[in-house]
Amino acid sequence: MHGKQPDYMEILKLDDDELKRRLAFFELKDEDFKRLTELKSFAERCTNDITEGLYKLIMEQPDSRVFFPDQATLNRVKKLQNTYFLGLFSGTYDINYVRDRLRVGMTHERIGMPPKLYLGAYRRYLALIHERLLDHFKGKTDEAFKALESIRKIIFFDMALAIDTYIAAYLETMTRHQAAIRELSTPVIKVHDRILLLPIVGTVDTQRAHQIMETVLVQVVEQQAKVMILDIAGVPVVDTKVADHILKTTAAVQLLGSQTILTGISASVARTVVQLGVEITRMHTRAKLSEGIDLALSIVGKKVVSSGEGA
Amino acid sequence: MEEIRIEREADIVAVRQRVRELTKEYRFDQFEVAALTTAASELSRNVWVHAQRGIARIVVLHNGKKVGLELEFVDHGPGIADLNRALAGGFSTSKSLGLGLSGTKRLVDEFDIDTEVGRGTKIVVRKWKKEF
Amino acid sequence: MPSGAIPILKLGSTLLATIQIDLHDTVVDSFQNDVLEEIERTGSNGLIIDISALETVDSYVARMLANTGKMAKLMGTDTVIVGMRPAVAATLVRMGYYMEGIETALSLEEGLQLHANRLKQLHPPE
Repeated sequence: MHGKQPDYMEILKLDDDELKRRLAFFELKDEDFKRLTELKSFAERCTNDITEGLYKLIMEQPDSRVFFPDQATLNRVKKLQNTYFLGLFSGTYDINYVRDRLRVGMTHERIGMPPKLYLGAYRRYLALIHERLLDHFKGKTDEAFKALESIRKIIFFDMALAIDTYIAAYLETMTRHQAAIRELSTPVIKVHDRILLLPIVGTVDTQRAHQIMETVLVQVVEQQAKVMILDIAGVPVVDTKVADHILKTTAAVQLLGSQTILTGISASVARTVVQLGVEITRMHTRAKLSEGIDLALSIVGKKVVSSGEGA
Repeated sequence: MEEIRIEREADIVAVRQRVRELTKEYRFDQFEVAALTTAASELSRNVWVHAQRGIARIVVLHNGKKVGLELEFVDHGPGIADLNRALAGGFSTSKSLGLGLSGTKRLVDEFDIDTEVGRGTKIVVRKWKKEF
Repeated sequence: MPSGAIPILKLGSTLLATIQIDLHDTVVDSFQNDVLEEIERTGSNGLIIDISALETVDSYVARMLANTGKMAKLMGTDTVIVGMRPAVAATLVRMGYYMEGIETALSLEEGLQLHANRLKQLHPPE
């Protein structure tokens, strides 16, 4: 997965249905598409001007200027801006249009341009277009107004997509972080061939208990572990709920065809588990982790033998 | 919203497969997929076994950031006489009495049941995808 | 020969049945029939049912597996279920179904090993 670009279309669930819903909410209708297509020559005539006007503002402000450190970058970006502008008047606003606009947003998000600059630039854009439209329609204010409305609709539509890319990017980051946190809080260790150990440290609420069971089961199958040692010495409170979760996990491990050894059992835990009155005779239990490891080894047919060396 | 008629045993498989497709499309994890497909299977089978015909409705839920799946099963079968017992009970292993409702209830986040002897049964369950 | 949709192979003195399709009444009936006929025909005393392809195991399937095991046991054959998926195990346990009385193993190899061990116990080498 190294270097693989997340699919924002997928993350944002941008399919044809969603596209239809958005076009409806932004009130983009056939007459708007027609109007936008009719303005294509207008767009081609003033695209350079508008791009220049936009970047004048961008280069004046220190916050935005930093993103365009050299002339080469600036020239390249201005070209892309022209392409973007003309795209607004293409007449075809389908799933490919959406994908394309998302890519634009992704690029800005990736270089770290904050939404405030992005939206500020759009505002400047609209102002520049407004000026030139009034000029183009020379006094036919009614038509100019209609044209501006159509342009405003498509620009807002684009802005929504731009903001969505920022959200999608953050969601993707959160997902990765959560996955990392889950992994760190459920460190399954291979202590020996086909013997796994999971030291559970900290409080175990229902959500964590679910996650522990799931991680344990996946690891047991992946590693084909014959024995899973669950050490609960680090769990501060083992109430009936926690005990139930642990027992469910051991039952599930058994269903897979493996065994569980529960270690780190204190006196109070021993009391609680018996009070639950569930099948504990099926489960191996030991007070100390080292004893659990010894038992696990014997289950897989091995044992620890003194080599006679060392202290 | 999708509707699948339950009139033959094969329809149980149809409901289960559609639920599987949707859960995978919306990227539920393997445990959530199993919970939903199993619940769908159990509830569909109940409809078929006890009422011989009914309808399964599947809705994808969007609640702000959350994504979930709602399954509804409606039949005009005999209805459940002792609902409390059916919901409380341990897992029934008898084919004829096997309602498995209490088990299914533990697989989902929300479970609503509306039943009356002689009128039929309507069960709605919802499960939300883990956020991250 | 097995006539149903679920293939049953002979591996030494063990039968291996691999379930890869959705289970419903007619399939289950012919499967159970086939298993018992094969046990009779081949004189096998071990049965392994591989469920690694099953993504969903509901109470119906769980009951079917348990019943098949019981039927085989009546004919003197022990059954081991292998290849259960993590999500299947979690779901069964969460429902409260612990599949008592069914023996399971992680893999086909493990299942065969269990049978071999059992045979050794019953007929210890001289």
